[in-house]
Amino acid sequence: MAEQFEPKIAVLCCNWCTYAGADLAGTSRMKYAPNVRLIRTMCSGRIDPSFVMTALKDGADGVLIAGCHPADCHYINGNHKTMRRFPVLHTMLAQFGIERDRVRLEWISASEGDRFVEVANEMTETVRKLGPLDWKSRTAAGNVA
Amino acid sequence: MKNDDPRIGVFVCHCGTNIAGIVNVDSVAAAARTMPFVVHAEEYKFMCSDPGQALVRDAILKHRLNRVIVAACSPRMHEPTFRKATALAGLNPYLFEMANIREHCSWVHTDKVAATEKAIDLVKSAVAKARYLEPLESRYVNVEPKVLIVGGGVAGIQAALDIANGGTKVVLVERQQSIGGRMAQLDKTFPTLDCSACILTPKMVQAAQHPNIELMTYSEIEEVKGYVGNFTVRIRRKATFIDPKVCTACGVCIDKCPWKATSSFEEGLSKRKAVYRLFPQAVPGIPVVDKDACKYFENGKCKACEKFCEPHAFRWDDQDKIVEEKVGAIIVATGYDLIDPKLPSQYGYGKLKNVITGIEFERINNATGPTAGKIVTKEGKEPESVAILHCIGSRDRNHCEYCSRVCCMYALKFAHLIKEKTKATVYNFYIDMRCFGKGYEEFYHRLLEEGVKFIRGKAAYVTDQALTDAEQGKLIISAEATTLGKTLRVPVDMVILANAMTPQKDAADVARKFGIGRSPDGFFLEKHPKLEPVSTATDGVYLAGTCQGPKDIPDTVAQGAAAASVAMSLIQRGTVEVEAATAGVIDDLCSGCKICQDVCPYSAIGYEVDKRIAEINASLCKGCGTCAATCPSSAIVAKHFNDQQILAQIHALYAQEG
Amino acid sequence: MRDFPSPLIEVSEMIADSGGSSLDLCYQCGTCSGTCPWNLVRDFRVRNIISLAQLGLEGYEGEDLWLCATCNACVDRCPRGVEIVDVIRSVRTIITQAGTSPKTLGAVLGSVKANGNPWSGDSNARLAWAEALQARPFTERSEYAFFACCTQAYDARNVKVGRAALKLLKAAGVNFGMLDGAEKCCGDAVRKAGGQELFDELSDSNIEMLDAKGVKKMIVGSPHCLNTFAKEYPDKGGRYEVVHMASLLAELIKSRKLRPTRTFDGGKVVYHDPCYLGRQNQVYDAPRELLKAVPGLELLEFARNRQDSVCCGGGGGRLWMETPIEERLAVLKLKEAVKMGATTLATACPYCVSMFEDAKTALDLDSFRVADVTEIIADAVEEVRPS
Ligand SMILES: Cc1cc2nc3c(=O)[nH]c(=O)nc-3n(C[C@H](O)[C@H](O)[C@H](O)COP(=O)(O)OP(=O)(O)OC[C@H]3O[C@@H](n4cnc5c(N)ncnc54)[C@H](O)[C@@H]3O)c2cc1C
Ligand code: SF4
Ligand code: SF4
Ligand code: FES
Repeated sequence: MAEQFEPKIAVLCCNWCTYAGADLAGTSRMKYAPNVRLIRTMCSGRIDPSFVMTALKDGADGVLIAGCHPADCHYINGNHKTMRRFPVLHTMLAQFGIERDRVRLEWISASEGDRFVEVANEMTETVRKLGPLDWKSRTAAGNVA
Repeated sequence: MKNDDPRIGVFVCHCGTNIAGIVNVDSVAAAARTMPFVVHAEEYKFMCSDPGQALVRDAILKHRLNRVIVAACSPRMHEPTFRKATALAGLNPYLFEMANIREHCSWVHTDKVAATEKAIDLVKSAVAKARYLEPLESRYVNVEPKVLIVGGGVAGIQAALDIANGGTKVVLVERQQSIGGRMAQLDKTFPTLDCSACILTPKMVQAAQHPNIELMTYSEIEEVKGYVGNFTVRIRRKATFIDPKVCTACGVCIDKCPWKATSSFEEGLSKRKAVYRLFPQAVPGIPVVDKDACKYFENGKCKACEKFCEPHAFRWDDQDKIVEEKVGAIIVATGYDLIDPKLPSQYGYGKLKNVITGIEFERINNATGPTAGKIVTKEGKEPESVAILHCIGSRDRNHCEYCSRVCCMYALKFAHLIKEKTKATVYNFYIDMRCFGKGYEEFYHRLLEEGVKFIRGKAAYVTDQALTDAEQGKLIISAEATTLGKTLRVPVDMVILANAMTPQKDAADVARKFGIGRSPDGFFLEKHPKLEPVSTATDGVYLAGTCQGPKDIPDTVAQGAAAASVAMSLIQRGTVEVEAATAGVIDDLCSGCKICQDVCPYSAIGYEVDKRIAEINASLCKGCGTCAATCPSSAIVAKHFNDQQILAQIHALYAQEG
Repeated sequence: MRDFPSPLIEVSEMIADSGGSSLDLCYQCGTCSGTCPWNLVRDFRVRNIISLAQLGLEGYEGEDLWLCATCNACVDRCPRGVEIVDVIRSVRTIITQAGTSPKTLGAVLGSVKANGNPWSGDSNARLAWAEALQARPFTERSEYAFFACCTQAYDARNVKVGRAALKLLKAAGVNFGMLDGAEKCCGDAVRKAGGQELFDELSDSNIEMLDAKGVKKMIVGSPHCLNTFAKEYPDKGGRYEVVHMASLLAELIKSRKLRPTRTFDGGKVVYHDPCYLGRQNQVYDAPRELLKAVPGLELLEFARNRQDSVCCGGGGGRLWMETPIEERLAVLKLKEAVKMGATTLATACPYCVSMFEDAKTALDLDSFRVADVTEIIADAVEEVRPS
C-alpha cells in the first residue's frame, strides 16, 4: 500500500478562545491528528491575510483561521474584522487556483475542546483528500508570481 | 532597537510522564541544539518546580542567554511563572517564549514518532520567534477599590460580608426584590436540620445594614466594560413604583391591594398581591408593584394601596434607571435553576397532582408556606405513605449527565421531616446514596434508625392506573428493587421528585457579559478545576456558589468566602500590570490614511495633526493587533506579535529546508 | 467444594462485538426493569440480563431472554444510553448461531428462509391478496412502490387492511405501483429474534430487487418495515425514502385529496401507539389527526400513551410465540380500553392488529372492534365504500 499523504496544517488562532479550546482538548486528553501546528496571536483580528499566503507559499497544505464566536471576542469585535477579511482571502486563493477548502475560518470557544478536535480532524482529512498543495507548480502555471 | 546577537536557551520539560511518556524529550533537546542561535538546551523533569526555575536562572547567567524558551505546558498556565524566573536573572521578561508541547502535543497525540516530530517543530517555531523578541516595559494602573457582586444568594451574601468586613466597598446586585436566593425558600437544612431562615435572615440583615455594602435589589447588569482592576458596569434598576427613601415598609398597601398573582417564591402553590414582598422576611422589606398584575397599569384605575400609604411613598411615574459603577473586581454568584419536572415525563408531574418537586416540598413544610407547614396532599389529607424519587433528570444522559450533589441529602432530610410530622411510611428510591460531606453518612445512619425504607432502584415511572384494589386511588411507583431482582409496584399518596439542579436559563447571556466560559454541563467554568476554582478566563472576574456547579450550602459558603479572598487580594495589591504588548506606529511608514482608527475596538488610535500620522494611546490599547493586520502601509507594529516574529514562526514550520 | 460462578469476560466481549457494545455503560439502576411493560403481567428483569452479560455469567441466555418484544420503552428511558434491545438482540444472535433458540421461533425463521415470509405462505402467491384490486405494477414512472408487509399479504385479518390501503391510495390519485411479488420479508422480526444471517440474506435480496427496479420511495403499512427500511437498510447500502400509511393518509387529508365525510358509527375509539411507529420513529400525531378528521369520531387516550405507551407484546418475534392469556399485554390493554368506555381500538401496525384481535377472542368481546386507522379512514371516505 502506498504511504498516505500527511498534510501540513497551520492553525492561526487567537489566545483567548481557540488556543484555550485547544488547551481544553489537551487537558481533557482528547485525541486528534498530529498534522496541525498552532501559531498564537492575541486576537484573530491580528491575522493578516499575508500570513496565510506565506504559510501556503512556504509549504503548508492548508490553513485554519480560528477565533472566538462572533459576539465573544476578548477585544469586543476583532473577529468581525477577521470575518470581513476572509472573502478577500478566498478571492486571492482563487486567483492562484487554490481550492477554497484549504483555508477555513472557524469560531471555536474556550469550552469547545471537542469542536477543536473535530475541526482539526476534518481539516486534516479534507486536505489529505485534496493532496499536496505544491505552490511552485501552481504559480508557475498560474498568472501571478 | 539593536540587539546583541541572540543567545537562545531552550529548556524541555518532561512534566513527569505527561510529556516524556509520549514525546522523546532527549530528541527534542538534541534537535534544539542544532537550531539557529541556540547556545544551550537541556531537559528536566519538572521545569515549573523551584529547581526547574533555578535551572533557567542559572543558565541565563552561565551561558549569557538573552532569550529563553521553555517547552512545556500551555503559556496560559505557566508563562507568568517563567517570565518571573527570567526576570529574576535580570533579563526582560518579554524575552521569554513558550512552546506548548503538552496540551497541544503529548496529551492529544498517541503516535510517539509523530508527537516528537511535532514537539520539535513547536520548539523550532518558538526559537524562530525568540530571535526577534524585544524587551517591553511593564506598566501598572491603579485598581478601583470596590467589588461588584452579582447575585444575592447565600454565596453572594457571604462574599459581600467578608469583603465589606475587611473594609472594602461592595455593590451587591440582585435581580429579585430580595436577597436570599434559593436558601430563603428552604425550610430546614441538612444534616444539622437548622432552620434555614434562622441562619440566613441575620446574614441578610447584616448585609443590608453594612456601611460598606450597597444593596441594589430588583436590578440587573446591562453592560460590563473594562478590564481587571478597572471595570465599568452599567446596572439597570427596575422601577418599583415605591420610593424606598420614603416607604416605612409597614406593608399596609399589601393588605389593601385587591389583586393577586401567582407567587414564584411559593413555587406557584399560592398567590401573592400585585404589590408585594417576595416573602415575609424579605430584605429589603420595601414592597414593589408588579406592573403586570397591577390593575392601575391595565386600566388606569384602582390605586387602592396608595390611599392607605401614610408617608405617600407611591411613585406611579417611576421608571427603570441605569446607574454606572466603577469596580476593580467582580464576583458572579448567580446560582442555579431546576430542571422542568415535566421533562422526564414518565413521572407524571403536571398530570398527577400529588407528584411534587423537592423545592415545592420545602415550601409545603414551611410554617409560612402555602399549607402553613402541614404536610398534606392536594386533597388536604395527611399522606399514609410518601415516595421520594432520587436522580430525576440527574445522572441521566437524556437530561443532565452530572450528579446534582444535594438531592440524596435533602431526600434524607425530607424523610426525617415527614417522619417527624406524620405517621407516613417513607420510601426512598435511589441508584446510589451519595453522602460524602461532613456528618452526612452519620445522618444517613440516623434515618436508617428512624425506619425509612430504602429501595435500591431508580423509579421507572409513576402512574395512577391501579391493577389491584390496594392500588386504587394511589400513585403507584414502578421500580426494580435491584438488590432483590424483583420489580415492585409501590402505592403511595405523595411523590416527591428530586429534580436536577441546572444552570440558570440566562447563563449563556451572563457568561458572555462577563467573559466567562461554560463547561459542557452549562455551568460557569472555573480557570482550573483544582487549583483555581474561583477564577475565570477573565482576570478580575470570580465565581462563587452554584453558578459554577451543583453544591450544597457549606460548599457554597466556602466558595463565597474563597471568591472574597481572591477579590480582596486584588484590591489590596492596589495596582495591576496592564498589557505591555500594545501596538505602536512607525512614523516614517504611516501615510495617515486613518483606516486603523475604524478598526480599533477601543478607540485607542488618535491622529497627530502636525505630522499627519496615526498615534496610539498606550493606556487604551489592549494589544489585540487588529490595526496591525489592517494597516495597508505596514506602519503598525503589534508588539510581541509583530509581522517579523509571526512570519519567522511560519517560515520555521513550513519553509522547505535547503 | 462448591462451584463458584466466575466471570467469563470472553463471553461478554463476544456480546459486545455482535452489536451490544453499549453494555458496559450500565450502572444497574433498574430503570429498564421498572419500565418494561412485561412487569405489568409477570416478572422480567431486564437489568439482570445486562448485568449477567457484562460479566459473561451464566443465566443471560435463559428463558426470559426471548420475552423482550423490542418495544424500546427501556432504551428510551435508560439514563446511561445503553442500547438494551441491541444487547438482547446480540445475545439472541449468539444463541441462534449455536442452534439453541426456542423451537417455535426456529419454525418461523425456517419459513422465512424457505418462502420469504413467516406465515408459511406460498412465495408465488405473495400478490394474491391484491389481485381483485387491479393496482398497477411499479414502473419508472411510479413515484412510490407499495411494499406489502408479509402479515398484510398472508394473514387473513390483515389482508383487509392492505386492501383498504390500496383503495385509498387509488381514490386519492397517488402515483404508486405494486412490486411484482419477488419481495421478501423486510427482516425486522427475524433480526430481532436473533436471525442476523437470515436478515442479511433478506435485505441483500430486497435491496437488489428494489434497486434493479429503480425504487426511490416506498409506502409501507407496517411500522416494522418502516423502521427496518429507514434505519437498517442504509447500513447495507439500501437508501429509500419510506413513508408509513398513517403519515401519508394524514397528508392526503390535509391536502384535501381524501375527504372523510361519512359519520363514524363505531362508538368511542382509543388509539394504541405501535412501538415502532411511535417511540421508534416519533410518529405520534399523524394517526391521531387522521382519526380526529373523521366526523363524529370521539378519540380516547390510554393513561400511558405516546412515548410511555405500553407495547402490545407482538414485536421481536413474540407474535409467533405462545403467551398465557393472563400474561398477554394486549389483553391487559384491551381491558383498560373497555373500562374507559371505548368500543373500538385503533392502531397502525399489523402486529398490533393481530395481537389485539387475539386478545378480543380471548376476552370474548364480540361487539368490540379492532381496526387499523387505514380501515377507519376507508370507511369514512365516500369513494372507497363499500369494502
Ligand atoms: C429542594 C432543595 C433542597 C435543598 N436543601 C439543602 C439543605 O438542606 N442543605 C444544603 O446545604 N443545601 C441544600 N440545597 C442546596 C442550596 O439550595 C444551594 O446550595 C444554595 O442555595 C446555593 O446558593 P447560591 O447562592 O449559589 O445560589 P442561589 O440560591 O440560586 O442564589 C442566586 C441568586 O442570584 C440571583 N441571580 C441570578 N441571576 C442573576 C442575574 N443575572 N443578575 C442578578 N441576580 C441574579 C438569584 O435571584 C438568586 O437570588 C437544597 C437545594 C434544593 C433544590
Ligand atoms: S436502565 Fe440502563 S443503566 Fe439502568 S439498569 Fe437498565 S440498562 Fe442499566
Ligand atoms: S419488552 Fe420493551 S421494555 Fe421490555 S426489555 Fe424489551 S424493549 Fe425493553
Ligand atoms: S480574542 Fe478571540 S477572536 Fe478576538
